[in-house]
Amino acid sequence: MSNARPTPDDPTAKPPEVLLVDDDEVNLLLTAAALRERGFNITESNGGEQALKLLADWSPDLIVLDAMMPGLDGFATCQRLRTMHGYENVPVLMLTGLDDDASITRAYQAGATDFFVKANQWSLLAGRLQYLLRASRTRLELERSQARLARAQDLARMGSFDWRRAGPQGSGGTLLLSSQGLRVLGHGVGDTVTVRSILRQVKRSERASVMRLLQSVMLHSSVLATDVPVFFRDGRHRIIHVEAEPEFNEHGHGIGYTGIVQDVTDRRVAEDRIRHLANYDSLTGLPNRRHLVWRMERAIDHARRLGHPCAFLMIDLDRFKLINDTLGHAAGDELLMEVAQRLRACVRHSEQVMENSLEAVGSRAHRSLEAVGRLGGDEFIALLPEISDERDAQRVADRILEVMRAPVLVGGQECFVTASVGIAIFPRDGNSVADLMRNSDVAMFSVKSGGKDASALYSPQLAGRGREKLELESALHKAIERDELVLHYQPMVDVRSARMVGAEALMRWQRGNALVPPGDFIPLAEESGLIVPLSEWALREAARQARIWKNSFGFDDAISVNLPSRVFERGQLVDQLHRNAMQYGIPHRMVRLEITETGLMKELQSVIPSLLQLKDINVDVAIDDFGTGYSSLAYLTTLPISELKIDRSFVRDLGVTPQSSGIVTAIIAVARSLNLRVIGEGVESLRQMEVLHRLGCSLMQGFLFSRPIPPDDLERWLEQTVLPRRAPWIGQAAELELGTVPVRAAGSRSY
Amino acid sequence: MLAMPDLSQPSPRPAAAVLDAASLQRLHELDPQGTNRVVERVLRTFEGSLQRLLAQAAQAAVAGDAEAARHAVHTLKSSSASVGALALSRCCSDIEQQLRTQPLAALQGLLDELQHEGQRVLQAVRDQLPD
Repeated sequence: MSNARPTPDDPTAKPPEVLLVDDDEVNLLLTAAALRERGFNITESNGGEQALKLLADWSPDLIVLDAMMPGLDGFATCQRLRTMHGYENVPVLMLTGLDDDASITRAYQAGATDFFVKANQWSLLAGRLQYLLRASRTRLELERSQARLARAQDLARMGSFDWRRAGPQGSGGTLLLSSQGLRVLGHGVGDTVTVRSILRQVKRSERASVMRLLQSVMLHSSVLATDVPVFFRDGRHRIIHVEAEPEFNEHGHGIGYTGIVQDVTDRRVAEDRIRHLANYDSLTGLPNRRHLVWRMERAIDHARRLGHPCAFLMIDLDRFKLINDTLGHAAGDELLMEVAQRLRACVRHSEQVMENSLEAVGSRAHRSLEAVGRLGGDEFIALLPEISDERDAQRVADRILEVMRAPVLVGGQECFVTASVGIAIFPRDGNSVADLMRNSDVAMFSVKSGGKDASALYSPQLAGRGREKLELESALHKAIERDELVLHYQPMVDVRSARMVGAEALMRWQRGNALVPPGDFIPLAEESGLIVPLSEWALREAARQARIWKNSFGFDDAISVNLPSRVFERGQLVDQLHRNAMQYGIPHRMVRLEITETGLMKELQSVIPSLLQLKDINVDVAIDDFGTGYSSLAYLTTLPISELKIDRSFVRDLGVTPQSSGIVTAIIAVARSLNLRVIGEGVESLRQMEVLHRLGCSLMQGFLFSRPIPPDDLERWLEQTVLPRRAPWIGQAAELELGTVPVRAAGSRSY
Repeated sequence: MLAMPDLSQPSPRPAAAVLDAASLQRLHELDPQGTNRVVERVLRTFEGSLQRLLAQAAQAAVAGDAEAARHAVHTLKSSSASVGALALSRCCSDIEQQLRTQPLAALQGLLDELQHEGQRVLQAVRDQLPD
């Protein structure tokens, strides 16, 4: 007989460990020898007590017990070991007599896995052991797999269920939930749960729709997949995902469902958060541009279908940048939050819209699109998805203007903000979101240039001003907020001493990569009224620069800023200069104002009060382009001004036409007699310089000395050109006869 | 080497059946090369066990202890079968069966036969063993 080794599933596996218990030495010896011969690793024991002792610190894969033993017999031994930890499921084979039915029954009762009739048929015994070991391994794997599944379900907060349809009379059917499933629904393992009791857990507002869905799914035996908001007994609110497939009997009738329940609250919360971040402005909590555009598109679709108008209100805060700059960004943010609150109260602001859910919820659902959102910066937009006519929109705009006028407390300080509102109405003013946004912008902008704090309806006349110009105007309007404006500086020099005595600030617009010269936007700014905020900005910026230069090289003269007459007319000018001087800690005289002769004479009466106030606070005023207008010399004597700037056209012709030197001579004479400083502008050549100087004007400005340059470049110009006395005009100036005394001493310091 | 049956001795069973050749052959197959001396160890163990169990059975018969007698014959039943002492095993089995329905005292004939056959097997086993 060839004793083929037992065929373990894995030939490399360790031989199975078997504990063999028999009180009869002969049998013990024989059986052990036979089983060893067949590849088992046998440990022998001659009685129950000894066996239990062995098992205390060693676990075999299988135990073979002789049933009949003195002392602790096989049955008692088996019973004992089943109560020991870790031996609940170890396979136990009981060896019984052939004619011993009672023992077989007792063996199973004692917890034996199987029995075997004692005989010397070793191969059969070995085969039985192999079978038991394989069954045990399978059982272990199953247990592990179940444990893994349970753990995975626990981690996924998932459980399974099985629902059987009720018979003809029954109601509700039978629901079986796994223990994980019970936990997912907030129940303990022993709890009884029915479809009805679960429905009672569903949030009341959702219950009817959940029931409708269940009925419809069951009616068609279709797949169920839905998220259900439920409450636990402890009041916690969770969202449970239910997914189930129908089961059918052999006749094709649906008999029930099997599926899973999963707690997806965390995922839903995260998804909601992501959706919120993507669609809402984090500062104000209002819908952002993306979300508003989405709403607007739907509102337009709807309005088109139902044939009613809808309105877009573009809302831009007036002078927000000023608040931001003077009180700081934190205050600016605070202001925006308060403004958002107020705006929200002006419309039936709705957060209710869920993407894609609109179509499902009836024809009036588009009203839930109504909202106010933030486009960015201080720009907001209100969407009125259904209006009867433009008066509705006008009413909302009025309400907005009204609520904005109330003072806002930011940073412990009361601020006054107003808004400019532009209204565009679908379909009259445009057919697409893009058109309507642009046109509401145009309307809003017309309010801005017309004096702010008002609303306007879009009209084609507004656009008729020329799209390009309008866009430029709109862009210029934003240029201030976007910090696109810069000042360049052209030094003024005293050629006698070859030193700088001041600088004129000239505005440039850094638009994208292009530097727009003032000629291309100042006239437009004057026309639109934007010149006012531009000038306010320039005054502040000049004061800031004066401070920087004061610190970096002891600058103590003045920076001249060009102002149009309408700024001089404003009562706020003096206040603003005060504020700037205070904020940057410079004397008032370090910012000088320039007004053109033409501008001054045109608005003389309204400008004079400002000029007097300016004199009081030591702000010098220069008359620019002098000689081109028609100054009344009588007035000139009474005006509180301190400087005349000879227009460049006269300087250009110096030494070319005799008339020009005559005019220049006359201007210098006037200045001298009125005790005014005089400066020649537009000096481009040494010859012009020489003539001008000979005529009695030593203060000059022009390309000969420097073009207008950025502030850092000006410092470099001082360091590399003026201080080393390196420029051609310096040598020339030094050779000039020093006979003419200047009208008024220039700054005491030389740079 | 199998022991030759002693034909001069009267016996109720065929002399050739003292130790069954096939059973002994199976014992040999447990250790075909004899490296573990399994056959010798089994027979020596059986020799000791047989002597002890025969004595226990005799003592139990004298004392009238049916339970002790039953345990002795039960154990001897399977171990004797293992070494090929089939007649002895059958005798043990008979006693075990009878004891379920009859008192020990009623089985004197079977118990005598047990002792007699037991001695024959003991001798046969000793013949199998090297000195």
